[in-house]
Amino acid sequence: MTVGTLDATEIRTRRTKAAKSRELAWGNPVIYFIALLFVGVMISPVLYIVIGGFRTNSQITVDPAGWPHPWVAQNYIDVLKNGIFWRSFANSTIAALATTVGVVALGLMVSFVLARYSFRGRGALYTLFAAGLMFPMTVAITPLFILIRTFHLMNNLLGVILPGIAFALPVTVIILVPFLRAIPYEIQEAAEIDGCGRMGFFFRMVLPLSVPGVITVGILAFIGSWNGYLLPLYILNNQKSQTLPLTVQTFASGPYSADTAKILAFTSLAMLPALAFFSLFERRIVGGLTGAVKG
Amino acid sequence: MNARKSLAITAVTAVAALGLAACSSGSGGTTTPTGGASGGAQTSAADYTATLTLWENNTTGKGPQFWTDTVAAYKKVHPNVTINVQPVQNEDLDGKLQTALNGGDAPDIFLQRGGGKLAAMADAGFVADITNAIDANTKAAIPASAFAADTYKDKIYAVPMTVLPGGFFYSKDLFKQAGITDTPKTLADLNDAVTKLKAAGIAPVALGAKDAWPAAHWWYWFALRECSEQTLNTAADTANLSDPCFLKAGQDLQAFAATKPFNDGFLTTSAQQGAGSSAGLIANHKAAMELMGAWDPGVIGSLTPDQKNLPDLGFFPFPSVPGGAGDPTAMMGGLDAFSCSAKAPQPACTDFLNFLATDAIQESYSTAASAPPASSKAAAAVTDPVLQSVMAYNQKAAYVSQWLDTRLGQNIGNALNTGVVDMLAGKGDPASIIKAANDAAAKG
Amino acid sequence: MTDSTRENAPVVVTSPVNLSTDGGSASALPPSGLARRRRRRGGAGLAGRLEIAALSAPAVIIFVTFVILPVFMAAYYGFYRWKGYGKPTDFIGLHNYVVIFQDPLFHGALMHNLEIVVLSLVFQGPIAVIFALLLNRKMRGQSIIRVLIFVPYVISEAVAGIGWSLLLAGNGAFDALMRDLHLNVLDRDWLANPHLALWTLMIILTWKYIGYATILFLAGLQGIPEELNEAAAIDGASYWQVQRRITLPLLGPTLRIWAFLSIIGALQLFDIVYIIWGQYVASTAGVSTMATYMNQNGRISGNFGYGSAVAVVMFIISLIIALTYQRFVLRRDTEGALTGGGRTR
Repeated sequence: MTVGTLDATEIRTRRTKAAKSRELAWGNPVIYFIALLFVGVMISPVLYIVIGGFRTNSQITVDPAGWPHPWVAQNYIDVLKNGIFWRSFANSTIAALATTVGVVALGLMVSFVLARYSFRGRGALYTLFAAGLMFPMTVAITPLFILIRTFHLMNNLLGVILPGIAFALPVTVIILVPFLRAIPYEIQEAAEIDGCGRMGFFFRMVLPLSVPGVITVGILAFIGSWNGYLLPLYILNNQKSQTLPLTVQTFASGPYSADTAKILAFTSLAMLPALAFFSLFERRIVGGLTGAVKG
Repeated sequence: MNARKSLAITAVTAVAALGLAACSSGSGGTTTPTGGASGGAQTSAADYTATLTLWENNTTGKGPQFWTDTVAAYKKVHPNVTINVQPVQNEDLDGKLQTALNGGDAPDIFLQRGGGKLAAMADAGFVADITNAIDANTKAAIPASAFAADTYKDKIYAVPMTVLPGGFFYSKDLFKQAGITDTPKTLADLNDAVTKLKAAGIAPVALGAKDAWPAAHWWYWFALRECSEQTLNTAADTANLSDPCFLKAGQDLQAFAATKPFNDGFLTTSAQQGAGSSAGLIANHKAAMELMGAWDPGVIGSLTPDQKNLPDLGFFPFPSVPGGAGDPTAMMGGLDAFSCSAKAPQPACTDFLNFLATDAIQESYSTAASAPPASSKAAAAVTDPVLQSVMAYNQKAAYVSQWLDTRLGQNIGNALNTGVVDMLAGKGDPASIIKAANDAAAKG
Repeated sequence: MTDSTRENAPVVVTSPVNLSTDGGSASALPPSGLARRRRRRGGAGLAGRLEIAALSAPAVIIFVTFVILPVFMAAYYGFYRWKGYGKPTDFIGLHNYVVIFQDPLFHGALMHNLEIVVLSLVFQGPIAVIFALLLNRKMRGQSIIRVLIFVPYVISEAVAGIGWSLLLAGNGAFDALMRDLHLNVLDRDWLANPHLALWTLMIILTWKYIGYATILFLAGLQGIPEELNEAAAIDGASYWQVQRRITLPLLGPTLRIWAFLSIIGALQLFDIVYIIWGQYVASTAGVSTMATYMNQNGRISGNFGYGSAVAVVMFIISLIIALTYQRFVLRRDTEGALTGGGRTR
């Protein structure tokens, strides 16, 4: 990289400036302003949904842009008091956690193979997974349903978890392979010299080093499962086994109409766990590889 | 290579499993009648043992309670029959049902829409023919015309629960405010009313064109007025819309739409989906009338500020159209019914269907669904004046047709719906509506 | 960046058909001798093969069973005229495909999809990169802002659709607000107006998926060692020079992966359009997609054979685009090969 000649004073000034900007200070107010502006734009539709839960349908029709007048807490209370809500909440949580664990484990294993081994079918294997992205679920659902029924997994959360893992694998593989490939060969060599096999390398080095990628795919898998609607709709007939997105519909939609305000309240509450999961783990995305491979 | 081999083995296993799935039996329990005659639930001494699953779409409001009560009442008469009721959201019901029927895992009793869907199910042998299982009580209570909607190739496949005729549901207060003294009887009256309402600053007609069928209903009603009964029936049966009366219907609608009678943003207004729907507009006095089916008072009632029925709601039938070959009193409507699947345990299943046709059950279903019952004996129990008005006009009708898109089948019906919306959006004309229907034939 | 890092491409072992980011994110490789050794160790050897099989088998089995198999079955239906009940019996060969390719509605939908693909990349990429750079700096409130930006992605598509419908419908909140604020020029028909609808859709899509892009880029940024930035800063480079010369190229592989996912996602777009525009208005407004076309002419119309054929067409189009992308974009990736480590050796 070429750098023009600079005199000593300039270098000194820039060095101090560089040092200062790395402090955990409040930072540049302009940046904050821009950030807050963007955040405001992103959040307002969500706020609309949350606050909409505090209104009645009539209020929303008559005064779409207004504040709740009066504030109606009944929708939220009805949802929180409802046993069905909590049961579907539990079902959704189980399904999402199981799917996430499955996706991360299986995805990591197969991505490791694709990234660090070389063998004849490698390209075909990668294409196989990538191709899975390109076929819409809505068409695959009919034969998939027959399959799940054959395995006697109807009304069973496993009937949602296993296909859920399968459908989340393509994105996982596509994201993880570059991450795993980026681990420098020197580390692998060093591990082998030290006597670790490829497996030891996997567990001791790869896992910790690929944490940002793993966290990312884990989050995506969790949210995908949490919001999944089509698969549970067809597999989970029994009310006892239903997940949250299904319950919204049966909870708040009659044969001819929909209770919009209640749906808004319900979904505002339903999005909280996925958000919680994200905020728990997002810190780990940062600070993964930094400084891991010092000279 | 190991990986490849395991792939192959998996594939073979899965294909074999699929093959086996085709032979597996469906759901449903056993049934063992122990003497006694069949017939109305009140007098039967037959003691069936069975477990039945039932899928219905009345998921909120009074719906769940109705089903709990009904199942309990049935259990009193048949203590060994267990019925599991499964509420399914209305929009999802058809897809779920179709997949379940195909997968061999269908419910025993389910909501039946009739029309092309029934034809497809019957052709595939999935739905039970109950022509001979309908008992005398049911035949007496429910008029033959109601059964006609669920008859296919001269076989009856379902027992009707509610009839849902269509027409205009309007706000008497808003009409009065605009100075309209009498409900429109002719198309000219309707145009006049629209003018008066616009002058008073009120949106004349609420239209949920986002869902397409509310817009298409206008076309269907114009077709009902323009085409003779004979032409209509032939066209519906053969899916042939070449008769000029259908073109005329489109022209009528185009002319009507040109007077700008619909609410602002009608293209993105939904029909019933909660706040902001066309029903919501009526419920909150933001529009004066809408052309809908008899479920509307209930929907409107759920969207009013106090969530009670709109007190000033009224009904008038579709007006006559000058020069139309159709009878000006003819009505068009839909029907909700229940069918037995072909694999359901019999006679327990049809016995339950007959039970659904009894007066008490018909009455409570009508109340729960806020819609007129199919049974004429239960009709007396309807207290809502708007529904009474609807039923009265339905009785006086020269003939009743089912919704045209139901009769024409999903494929053509859907294409018609799209064609009408396109015309209202300025992207088509009366001829393109017919063309859309014809083009659809190639796809299915 | 030293010269030794550019030695990667020719030495990496690749297989013939390869969608992976071979050249892209390969780490810096030592000179050829070691590479030859690696090749042998990675490829042959029973232990190696067993490891490969053992590690990949679970994923492959589940994937083939629940994804690939249904796909083939669904494709099978595409050769039939089928109402969806019972077994398909009316074999019509390629007739469905002929109708699809001649249907102007399908052409329109395909065109819209392509527009959405391009506009998504153009809108979301730069904004997400800026967000990621922003959120990578250590500053107070970093976590909260990250969570808040990600919230739209967390909401399911269905709910987002309901919310935006309420906001943008003719009698919706946004127009009402504009009227209240006397900004009547902004009181337009955002959804049904063919001139505005596509832009509205792009705004909504950007809103929804920017969080997704941002965390992908954030994760990618983690692989860029601080020391590089520090070294450059000491050498006198300005912030933007650093980004342009160091960060962005190193972020390259992540960018290209995101672009790939974004393209495929844009081709499959369904939920948001379906819920906000409905299937009928979508084509009039110019935002129908292949997926809404499939849904409208397939499932909703009871033409399950036709719908399956459309799905196969979607698949083939996506595959062609994906393969082209892989060939011309991912393969040529010799710059920006570093994501972490692999510096001076």
